Amino acid sequence: MALCALAVVSSVRAEGDASAGAKVFAQCSACHTVGAGAQNSVGPVLNGVVGRAAGKYPAYRYSSAMRKSAVTWDEATLGTYLRAPDKLVPGTKMAFPGIANDQDLANLIAYLKQQKAE
Amino acid sequence: MATKLKPVDIAIVGLGWAGGIVAKELAATGLKIVAFERGGPRATNPDFMAPQVHDELRYWRRHELIQNLRKETLTFRNDPSQLALPMRQLGSFLPGEGVGGAGTHWSGLHWRWTEWEHKMYSGTVAKHGKGIIPADMNLQDWPIDYHELETYYDKFEKVCGTSGKAGNLQGKKIDGGNIFEAPRASEFPNPPLTQSHGMVLFEKAARNLGYHPFPVPASNASRAYVNPDGVALGQCHYCGFCTAYGCEANAKASPHFTVIPLAQKNPNFEARTNSYVMKVNLDSRGKRAVSVTYLDAGGREFEQPADLVVLAAYVFGNVHLMLHSKIGKPYDYQRNTGVVGRNYAYQSMGGVAALFPKGTYLNPFMGAGALGTWIDDFNSDNPDFTKLGFIGGGGISTGNNGGAPISRRATAPGAPRWGAGWKKAVVETYHRFASVGNQGSVMSYRQNYLDLDPTYTDSFGRPMLRLTFDWQENEFKQMEYARGICGTIAKEMGAEQVLSRRERGRYSIVPYQTTHNTGGTVFGDDPRTSALNKYLQSWDVSNVFVVGSSAFPQNAGRNPTGPVGALAYRLADTLKERYLQRPERLVDV
Repeated sequence: MALCALAVVSSVRAEGDASAGAKVFAQCSACHTVGAGAQNSVGPVLNGVVGRAAGKYPAYRYSSAMRKSAVTWDEATLGTYLRAPDKLVPGTKMAFPGIANDQDLANLIAYLKQQKAE
Repeated sequence: MATKLKPVDIAIVGLGWAGGIVAKELAATGLKIVAFERGGPRATNPDFMAPQVHDELRYWRRHELIQNLRKETLTFRNDPSQLALPMRQLGSFLPGEGVGGAGTHWSGLHWRWTEWEHKMYSGTVAKHGKGIIPADMNLQDWPIDYHELETYYDKFEKVCGTSGKAGNLQGKKIDGGNIFEAPRASEFPNPPLTQSHGMVLFEKAARNLGYHPFPVPASNASRAYVNPDGVALGQCHYCGFCTAYGCEANAKASPHFTVIPLAQKNPNFEARTNSYVMKVNLDSRGKRAVSVTYLDAGGREFEQPADLVVLAAYVFGNVHLMLHSKIGKPYDYQRNTGVVGRNYAYQSMGGVAALFPKGTYLNPFMGAGALGTWIDDFNSDNPDFTKLGFIGGGGISTGNNGGAPISRRATAPGAPRWGAGWKKAVVETYHRFASVGNQGSVMSYRQNYLDLDPTYTDSFGRPMLRLTFDWQENEFKQMEYARGICGTIAKEMGAEQVLSRRERGRYSIVPYQTTHNTGGTVFGDDPRTSALNKYLQSWDVSNVFVVGSSAFPQNAGRNPTGPVGALAYRLADTLKERYLQRPERLVDV
């Protein structure tokens, strides 16, 4: 039974449902924007975040921790970061408790992948 | 010499919740509006970003977000026989400064006042007769009742994403909510925040004693939320830096990221920051406001003509501007006549401290500004005034609102007062010390008032506002009665020791108590006892409106921001639907 559940989780993780991820993104939207006309606010614009080097979006003032992190955002790093931001980048100014649910996380990353750079 | 600027339609003084709401609602009409804010602009990024916003020294001890007393302050005395002296350090209350005002650094306790709290005079007389009202108490009704404000209370909660549980939904009492609240049309927009251990103990104890505990309505969002204006609020993560701080998660509702940016989307609206309004200028007959005079950041003087002036500053700012501009008759304590400065009231913060057995972990470092469990069983008009000998009540509660290292240093009685022993005692006590507090109502009295100081002037050369205030017998009785209840609850919670002091001293302006000052430009139906009519319009100068808790005739045993926001939304409707259609006096004398 446990194995079976694991298999389900990993397959969800591989695919992720972007439309369900849009709902998860509500947790991010107090600080981050995506889509046409997105602007830096509390946090940086997330268009094109997947594949981007951390701390590099133009005109956003990152913490020095993020600027120096040498992280590139992909599924793996985003997965680690969004679970507990200050574990991967101690000193980040992203004050967010983290997403605990694997499914939500996979869906959110699938959604972020859809947000292409301008 | 003031530089005269091009006229605008509306000048708003103060850009906190009250001014921000009026600005947002009226900016959409296309009228030319300028809002003046004495402090600077503020944005979550960069002003409130973690980790630097969690700086207790900067925000709590050095008051980064609070009024600059070097520019203007007030004088204080306990009674009219004394010489009032200027308040040179912040203490008893902390008026906000900067865009968002006190809305940036409030805790987020977001109440609707009860039906009685809008009708304290007639409600008290109907139940107990006129005989129980002390001769020096100016007990007055609001000119409108709860039901006229319900839709505005509802709107403000939805804008703020208030987290709570209804206790009276359209007349149906619901266990777990506040069964003493006035009927509400709809449930809170968000569910209650997660309880702390201390709150669980309080809830259980209060239930055991037959009371009705409920989660404090909190404008600290319990989940990610998008309000009806399309503004997103983040989820509160219980960081414990709320009261006196800005919120880095936009979880604590604040005008600086909700209503004010929406006003600013309209090109006809302008926020003029670092601008101190000195005075509202009247025409030669003193019947009409023609402009406001203000100083910009460089100290240059400007005159801004406007057809309509809305005063939306803090209580003291509203009263000071009314007095200094000669709008309405100043209150005269000797003759008990006049209205501006009359009915100043405050709030009492009492109760007990409770020390729990070793091994209790209350985790004070986790918390939110409004994270608490409360009972209204002894608040509003629920106590029997005739039997107890006082009018009013108090909210009794416990909460986790933050346990930052400079201010949170309680020790058990008998502990060393300094040195290594003291440090050890602080550590030993940190996790097992809590308070069961009473937030008591304060009535208005003939001898508690605001007027212009005859001796001292502020840095701009204006006479300072003078505050004359002391506790009265009625309030002492309420505090003592509630203290007994708080002690009983603390014991029932399992406290090892209950610590309390008999509170009989004079009011002191030195220690922080609460930023819930009220009155001075009271609204009412009788121009002899109110400065404003029921539409918050000056009885004397019909193009001046005043909004904020300066309009409250007396203070309740709960926080004032809910009704302040509701009144601001109502004022915006009054202006749009009535005044701007026919700009004249809305109530005949």
